[in-house]
Amino acid sequence: MALAHVLTWLEHSPLGVFTRSLGVWSYGVLNLVHILGITLLFGSILLLDVRLLGAWRQIPLAQISRPTTTMAQIGFVLALCSGIPMITVKSSDYIGNPFLLIKFPAIALALLNVWLVHRSPAWQAHRVRALMPAEQRRLAFGASLSLLFWLTAISAGRMIGYW
Amino acid sequence: MTRLFGVLSMALLISTPVLAHHGWGGQEEQVTSLTGTVVQGVSLAGPHATMKIKVGNDVWDLTLAPPARAERAGLKEGLIPVGATVMVRGNRNLDHARHEMKTIYIRQGANEYHVYPDRE
Repeated sequence: MALAHVLTWLEHSPLGVFTRSLGVWSYGVLNLVHILGITLLFGSILLLDVRLLGAWRQIPLAQISRPTTTMAQIGFVLALCSGIPMITVKSSDYIGNPFLLIKFPAIALALLNVWLVHRSPAWQAHRVRALMPAEQRRLAFGASLSLLFWLTAISAGRMIGYW
Repeated sequence: MTRLFGVLSMALLISTPVLAHHGWGGQEEQVTSLTGTVVQGVSLAGPHATMKIKVGNDVWDLTLAPPARAERAGLKEGLIPVGATVMVRGNRNLDHARHEMKTIYIRQGANEYHVYPDRE
């Protein structure tokens, strides 16, 4: 299978060789950064999504969306930058792991959803004015998908190690 | 809101037993001894150190301790050469189709490695 080739290649890539040379604590430290990144990412996203779904309506949306999207971006970058070297350490271990096939498509869908929400007229409008009910529904729909995709990605990611 | 948090906490509580792995939950209670030939020496990379040995026609995945603990037990990469005969003790995977064992103890010639001395 093509994925098996990619994983084998990743393990033997210069990054894999380099990461393995970093000593016995390297995996643990990368794992720590990965978890910090995920907590930042998901914690921020959860606040925003719950607000979009109708909680804390007394707080203007724009006041919540700015800090949460910034923090979520920082979290995503941390998770990405630790996740890539982490997977190269022993990529071939993940061949045949079904959770991998759930996690990465879920991340792709989550990012696609972010892109679609951010280019929607409703999202553009929320920075300058209060939203119409139809616009609120559009963003609430995006928030539901966001929670679904990110929770799926995180759950599948956590389960990779238990396969 | 309070209800939402209630639901989320319940979901977390229910999912906790699934997370109880990484310990010894997936392994047999009884200790198995194996004698075989090293086909892949100790690797100290990853969430836990590993090595592979061949016993009869089967290649066994030996799961060792986290890298730092395996190192404290005296294991180093390249120390036990490929082709060496080793005797190992550990708890094998409950799924016997998987030749995998969490390893407590390794002996190669006169060298002993107590990976999990408290389990011996």
